[in-house]
Amino acid sequence: MTRVLVAMSGGVDSSVAAALLVEQGFDVVGATMKLTCHGDELPDRPCCSLDSVNDARRVCDQLGIPHYVLNLEKAFGRDVMDDFVHEYARGRTPIPCVRCNTFTKFRDLVSKADAIEASLVSTGHYARVIDGRLHRGLDPAKDQSYFLWGLRREVLSRLRLPVGGLTKTETRQRAAHLGLEIVANKAESQDICFVPDGDHVRVIAQRLGPDDPSLQQGPFVLTGGPVVGHHDGFARFTVGQRRGLPGGFAEPMFVVAIEPERRAVIIGPRQALLSRTVFATEINWLDTAAAPGDELQAQVRHRATATPATVTSVAGDRLELVFADPVSAIAPGQSLVLYRGSQVIGGGIIDRSPRALPVAAA
Amino acid sequence: MPDPIYLDHSATTPVRSEVLEAMLPFFGPRFGNPSSTHRWGREARVALDEARERLARAIGATADEICFTSGGTESDNLAVIGAWRALRTTRPAVVTTPIEHKAVLEAVHEIEAEGGTARVVAVSPDGIVDRASYDAALGDDVALCSVMWVNNEIGTMQDIPALAAAARARGILFHTDGVQALGKVAIDTRTLPVDYLSVSGHKIGAPKGIGALFIRRGAPITPLLHGGTQDRGRRPGTENVAMSVGFARAVELAVAEREEECTRLERLRDALEAALMAKIPDAVIHGRGATRAPHVLNISVPGTDSESMLMALDLQGVACSAGSACQSGSIDPSHVLTACHVPHELAVSSVRFSLGSLNTDAHVARVAELFPALIAKARRLSGQMSY
Repeated sequence: MTRVLVAMSGGVDSSVAAALLVEQGFDVVGATMKLTCHGDELPDRPCCSLDSVNDARRVCDQLGIPHYVLNLEKAFGRDVMDDFVHEYARGRTPIPCVRCNTFTKFRDLVSKADAIEASLVSTGHYARVIDGRLHRGLDPAKDQSYFLWGLRREVLSRLRLPVGGLTKTETRQRAAHLGLEIVANKAESQDICFVPDGDHVRVIAQRLGPDDPSLQQGPFVLTGGPVVGHHDGFARFTVGQRRGLPGGFAEPMFVVAIEPERRAVIIGPRQALLSRTVFATEINWLDTAAAPGDELQAQVRHRATATPATVTSVAGDRLELVFADPVSAIAPGQSLVLYRGSQVIGGGIIDRSPRALPVAAA
Repeated sequence: MPDPIYLDHSATTPVRSEVLEAMLPFFGPRFGNPSSTHRWGREARVALDEARERLARAIGATADEICFTSGGTESDNLAVIGAWRALRTTRPAVVTTPIEHKAVLEAVHEIEAEGGTARVVAVSPDGIVDRASYDAALGDDVALCSVMWVNNEIGTMQDIPALAAAARARGILFHTDGVQALGKVAIDTRTLPVDYLSVSGHKIGAPKGIGALFIRRGAPITPLLHGGTQDRGRRPGTENVAMSVGFARAVELAVAEREEECTRLERLRDALEAALMAKIPDAVIHGRGATRAPHVLNISVPGTDSESMLMALDLQGVACSAGSACQSGSIDPSHVLTACHVPHELAVSSVRFSLGSLNTDAHVARVAELFPALIAKARRLSGQMSY
């Protein structure tokens, strides 16, 4: 019987994933990854809490499968939380889930799977693995393939994503049908697991100290030059943001860029957000590497549509491409994910490039 | 899969049939409250007093020196905090070791939070209290020393008679956490110069939720709980009659069977240890250079990790543990091994087998085959990390 190790957060998606694998006749082992310390937890957060570990254990008990808790606090603190605050301190907008999937979660899952002779691993992500290739989840509202570009191909070949072919509604129905009342109607986890109240500034202050330059006063600079006000820390801002900017302009203003060297938050009108090119580093290919001239679709945010684009250069783990139509609010630190239809070809981390100038300002 | 093997007796043990039988009437017709004046109450009170006497007799104490508690943690808290609070104005300090159970270490933290001072003495790499460091800590300002008798993680045994005598010679109260010692070490409080001794029921075949604190006649104690006058006001709250009766029975059995059972467990443990060392020559047995209780074998193998080993063993039907499990069930690096200056690589690979009533020669034989095989596999994997 093929053994599969399932990462179970205690939420409905991974619980149903485990249940479906049991139904399919696999020898299923559940594991909950403890990523952050539970000592100072806030109540009511939907994942990573002590209650969630207990929920996962109860679901496993109900499914008649073993359950273990894996302590990843140290690795998570180092590889994900430290990276998160340092990225903000560099004026970027990180996605900790991508870091976690790339460096922490799947790495440990696979090593534990090896330790218990499980040839397969599984999670509750809404994405699909077809013939060893990663595809979008069938439910466009829930698709999480954007967060998975950093996986190794060796992992993909062992990965099962049982809920990737379901809609969220179907998943909840399956949970209810399977008698998993504990999780069937659980709230969706929306926030970053270690920033449950959405206050990422507090986390930065905790880890880097309240005196970190990214939390100090700096200028609001209008695209083109003049200082139009002051902010109390560029880490509070992200490209595309409207909230917290000075008023009194004829049209709505947005954060266009952050320049940590002079603590500046650059603001401009909507069209200043548009960009035709994007530059990314740390590129990871999940299929044959793209080459200059290749046409594909590129997505720059989780909640964005993929836009037709042409690769202009590939050098090592760096890539540049040009969009068919300008794309708005490309934020350094976010992921650039490359698709061909529903398939994820690869991805990388968006970076500032001297050539990637806003079209309106050029 | 063959029958599962339970090698985690230091975590807990099954309730013995004799103990269950002794308790049953008190879950049934003899349900009374020992404080009531009527016949139900009297019946319960007699049973409770008898249990107290029997437990006392088993450790050489008198009935009034036995305070029933909810278990080891409460006993440790009551002794450490209760003795310190009674003496804090003249003696604000407490002395302990870094390898105590968290029930003592956290009680000491509480004392610090309340304005007391803590002195933590050094231990050897084998987990034995450094005598010079201990003696140096025994100042006139010390209210209490608390030193665990048998360590729950590595099984090493302190020279409690000598440490307690040294404290007494300086007018300092002495507490020992004897939770793992009960049934493994001869305990006679008539000759043992300790003032407080914690014991727990579920480590010796009584249920979880019952324990006791030996409080030597005349030793000061400030209660932690407030309410009625039960147990001379030391531990208010309606007494757990059924479990007190069960615990007394379990203690009597453990004391009566101690020598024979210790000989048996030591033989099993030594056989397992020898077999594992023969097959894994670079394995490290923690506390090996010290006197150890007969039932604990704590082993580290470089290049492996506890978490993976425990999963792999459990999936093969072998139950054991590593460090102390925390609330979530995840494994944190052991504070005991860290305090013994065990290198990180070894501390994160430790696995504790603790033997007891359920174990047989066949169990040892199977684990002696299985564990080295799993170790070999884990090492192959760590040598060729695919990720």
